[in-house]
Amino acid sequence: MSSLAEQSAAFRRPPASPTDGLRAEWTRTWAFAHRNLVMARRNIFFVFELAFWPGVAMLSHGLLTRFLELTPQMTAFILAGTVALSTVQVCQLDVAYVVLFDIWSKSMKHQFLTPTGIRHLAVGSWLVGVGRGLVVFALMAAIGSRFFGFHFLGAGPMSLAVFLLGCFLCSLIVGLFVCALVVLFGTRAETSAWAAVNLLVMLSGIYYPISVLPGWAQTVSRAIPLTYFLDDFRTGYGFAGAFGHPLAMGFGLAVLYLALAHWALAAAITRSRRTGLLLKLSE
Amino acid sequence: MAAAESLAVDARGLTKTFRGGWLGRRRTEALRGASLAVPRGAIMGLLGPNGAGKTTLLSILATLLIPDGGTARILGLDVVKQAREVRRRLNMTSGNTSFVWSLRPPEVLEFYGRLYGFHGRALRTRVEALIEQCELGPHRKTQYNELSTGLKQRLAFAKSLLNDPEVLFLDEPTLGLDPDVSVRIRAQVANLRRERGTTIILTTHYMREAEELCDEIAFIKGGRILAQGPADALKRQIRIGEVIALKLDPVEPAGLADLTGVLDVRRHGDTVEATVDAVEKRLPEILRWLHEQSAVVRDCRVHEPDLEEVFVELAR
Repeated sequence: MSSLAEQSAAFRRPPASPTDGLRAEWTRTWAFAHRNLVMARRNIFFVFELAFWPGVAMLSHGLLTRFLELTPQMTAFILAGTVALSTVQVCQLDVAYVVLFDIWSKSMKHQFLTPTGIRHLAVGSWLVGVGRGLVVFALMAAIGSRFFGFHFLGAGPMSLAVFLLGCFLCSLIVGLFVCALVVLFGTRAETSAWAAVNLLVMLSGIYYPISVLPGWAQTVSRAIPLTYFLDDFRTGYGFAGAFGHPLAMGFGLAVLYLALAHWALAAAITRSRRTGLLLKLSE
Repeated sequence: MAAAESLAVDARGLTKTFRGGWLGRRRTEALRGASLAVPRGAIMGLLGPNGAGKTTLLSILATLLIPDGGTARILGLDVVKQAREVRRRLNMTSGNTSFVWSLRPPEVLEFYGRLYGFHGRALRTRVEALIEQCELGPHRKTQYNELSTGLKQRLAFAKSLLNDPEVLFLDEPTLGLDPDVSVRIRAQVANLRRERGTTIILTTHYMREAEELCDEIAFIKGGRILAQGPADALKRQIRIGEVIALKLDPVEPAGLADLTGVLDVRRHGDTVEATVDAVEKRLPEILRWLHEQSAVVRDCRVHEPDLEEVFVELAR
């Protein structure tokens, strides 16, 4: 025992791991972004997510507007919803993947063994999601413009930029809530990664004004930021806005839900550490 | 205070109960007041039967689990309240480690290296050094799910060294490995302590591994540490005696087990092993008795009980 005590005195050294700082913060964030990029490059299903489904959605909805002989204004109304669904879907999947990759490969505990935080995994994966969402948008814009005469810049570049930003913020919120559900309930909750967005956009007035929804559903719609971003974007195409200050409401709600989603994921991780699920997800 | 500072791991009275089933009615007490003290720079072997609480204890120390009760400090830092700082200074790997399946070994290491804050040349240098050290070079283009079990283990071991941890937890690191890979991992563990002064807690089912590597052994069973100390001291503490191995003719004379001081007699082929309380005193007595019985002693060896016998004794 005394020899061990002597050894103890000899073994004092500074840690090799870098301390915190802006560079380390970005490095940790980039770790998640880079991993999502590598995975996206290596998996054929990502091509489907990026090109096939959005392309099919745009073409089928565009053809539907032709069949129904909708005016250019109504076509814009419908196709704006189609774009919103696809960009939010693709972007939020990237955020959800940051946890799902580890769930599927049973490697969950390793990232929580490192000095990394929720902000790193959230922002890192979201940045890739934004990139992929922009690719989806470009594809859909090209199809809409070429085949259905729908011009996404019709509402002005600033309006489009704000709309896309709103969509991406909603993706981050949904993605974080999905991550929280997966960390809390394991693989049983992974279908929420695909289901959550569809429910959200249905209530946001994706292909219709929310006034056609039942009263209780309209109340829920008013609590969803995407409702306001869609409303604001559509006013650029000549539709009467349903809300007084849609952008203020949309961004205000988005910030509130972001804080809530962050808290929810942090609480889910803590609970998972307490119940042992974090370890079970790694076995 | 000085004693506490010299400890890399200081766990006291840790308790942990897992709840399962409908409304959490099924309760499994994994730890029931486990305490463990590991000096800096020591290699501690944590031994115990399946379900004894080894992995639960390591997971709490590694901040992956929150204990229900008790306290645990790593390098003086509380594992619950200062978890982030603790994570910076420790690492862990286990025998059933898995990583994202379609990543290649350098990508796995780069990902976790970045999570520790390494970037640029420092990251590349570190990853390359570990690839070389763990002999993963020829497999750098192979995706994780296509690696053999041994290579996966080596990659897991490399990952656990990314942040040059001051405290390293190895949960059955040689489980299911070929002997040559196990030998290499054991050599690396010994090197880590010798060259970097890393404090290591190792769980294993291989007693030889524990005896070879560890300065101290802690036995855990039923969620409690039953005994802790150097292997030799434990053997003495358990008082399971020393063993006199005899080759006799006749092979096992009747009455040997009834002699004073003989605790146990077992036969292994043509050898009889008599466990005695004090070999210096009992060996002459046994030899004298055998002579009186006209038994021929063809061979006589004395050895201490191995750790496995201590383990079996404690696990009863």
